[in-house]
Amino acid sequence: MWKAFHIAQKDAKIYFFKGPNITFGLLFPAIIYLAFSIGRDVGATSIIPGLVTMSSLFGAGAIESIALPLERAKGTFERLLAAPISLTTIVVGKALGGFFFGIVLSIGYLLFALLLSGGAVASPLLFALGIVLSAFAFSALGICISAPFRDVPQAMPPATLIRVALIFLGGVFIPVATMPPFLQFVAYLLPVTYTIDVLRQATTGYIVIQTVIVDVAALLFFASVFLAIAVLLLKKTIR
Amino acid sequence: MNPTIKTQGLTKRYHDVLAVDHLDLEVSEGEIFGLLGPNGAGKTTTIRMLTGQTSPTSGTIRIDNHDIIREAIRAKRLIGVVPDVSNIYDELSAWDNLIFAARLYSVPKLERENRANALLELFGLFERRKDDVAGFSRGMKRRLTIAAALIHKPKLLFLDEPTTGLDVQSSRLIRNLIKELNADGATVFLTTHYIEEADQLCQRIAIINKGKIVAMDNPEKLKAISEERQVIEVSFILPKGLEDKLKGLSCISEVSRFGDKCRLRVDDTSEAVPALVDFSRENNLKIISINTLKPTLEDAFVKLTGLNPEVMKTEKEPVKKSGNSD
Repeated sequence: MWKAFHIAQKDAKIYFFKGPNITFGLLFPAIIYLAFSIGRDVGATSIIPGLVTMSSLFGAGAIESIALPLERAKGTFERLLAAPISLTTIVVGKALGGFFFGIVLSIGYLLFALLLSGGAVASPLLFALGIVLSAFAFSALGICISAPFRDVPQAMPPATLIRVALIFLGGVFIPVATMPPFLQFVAYLLPVTYTIDVLRQATTGYIVIQTVIVDVAALLFFASVFLAIAVLLLKKTIR
Repeated sequence: MNPTIKTQGLTKRYHDVLAVDHLDLEVSEGEIFGLLGPNGAGKTTTIRMLTGQTSPTSGTIRIDNHDIIREAIRAKRLIGVVPDVSNIYDELSAWDNLIFAARLYSVPKLERENRANALLELFGLFERRKDDVAGFSRGMKRRLTIAAALIHKPKLLFLDEPTTGLDVQSSRLIRNLIKELNADGATVFLTTHYIEEADQLCQRIAIINKGKIVAMDNPEKLKAISEERQVIEVSFILPKGLEDKLKGLSCISEVSRFGDKCRLRVDDTSEAVPALVDFSRENNLKIISINTLKPTLEDAFVKLTGLNPEVMKTEKEPVKKSGNSD
């Protein structure tokens, strides 16, 4: 486990301030959110979970969408493969790198959203739990998406497309309950839906324990499944 | 005594391409073993399989009696790997690169710092230890890559084309270092397409071509394979028109120029030398020197593979590391 942490630490040192991370992780969520909320009557209970969800999705996923293909293109990934560590440890280490970036961005965006909306978070502990679980699930998703690719230009378009689709289908702008039944079904298959739900409940303070349990379980499930898929995809693409 | 490396029927197939074809080899402890072959022969693929970076299609690999697939972590603890392209992190300093490598091998804190300092001194990089590697020359990066592979004091060191693309000074430094490491007890497995390098460094050599080992022995025994053809090196000023006449002598099978010298492949030197002296006299040529040359490893390589040695001089094209290998 320490080795996974060292990989995350190394990724943080190298990739946190790379240009594409700043663009896709830091600026993209704000631009997209503002583009869809300007001119609409959006309250604090929408702004806070919406911005934090987007920053977590784009931030946590951005690191490994860049780091993994870049390392494979430059050959530094081979250093990890030759070391006495399992592929699972490598993937967990990579996921932790994105996780930390996602957490930092989520906190930053939370402060920004609080200032922007003048609102408050009713249940900070639940909000923190939502941020932590989501950052890990989204980071693992980022690895899954980038695992088949061997350089950044190949990996970025599908990564961005998938995240934008998740934002629209996961209820960040349009509540899931107002979607047509088929899209509601799709929404419940997406991790973003559970993030936005748990963060909304934490923001408003209207907490329904059963749905919080479902949200937490779903995010844990998605994180585990994405990690497992990432390991399999990497194993398959290592020639 | 168990061999440090033992492979049986090692095979790697990429779709329709058979990159490595049923490789059986044993490398003993304390040996410098070289895998010599042209680009595309299967050297890098072999090293990637031996170091557990890619799985073989079939066959087994044992590193110090540990199966590289089933006991990967145990086997990998024993080995240091220097790939064909330096794979250190450009964005980190030399020091951070070594410390990160040490952490991957669970080297304790105090030991990793002492070891990193010692290696940076040894490789002449201590003054630049805090600088990002991005600003390093190719030779410096290569040295740091080797230092990173040595940080955990591996019992077995794999070097893939260790001196390719380096200047003479860096190449010499690395060759001397390989000899020193071996003298200290490390087993070394290296691949190279430089015939001379293999001859100078290796105690045993396997010549690989199209994924198959075509010969495996110590360099002197390999050279003996081509001994039935001898070479005379003669230094004289040979006008152009006379070269064809020289080739026409019945005892000479091939003439090639090496600077101001001519190398003549002959079947029998005792017959060829007097003929050559007569030829010089008849054509008013002054022989400056005349030597009979022992067969070289290059001669053996040519004989065994049927390849022109020039193919060994072509540098490998840069490849994307996670893509196809040699």
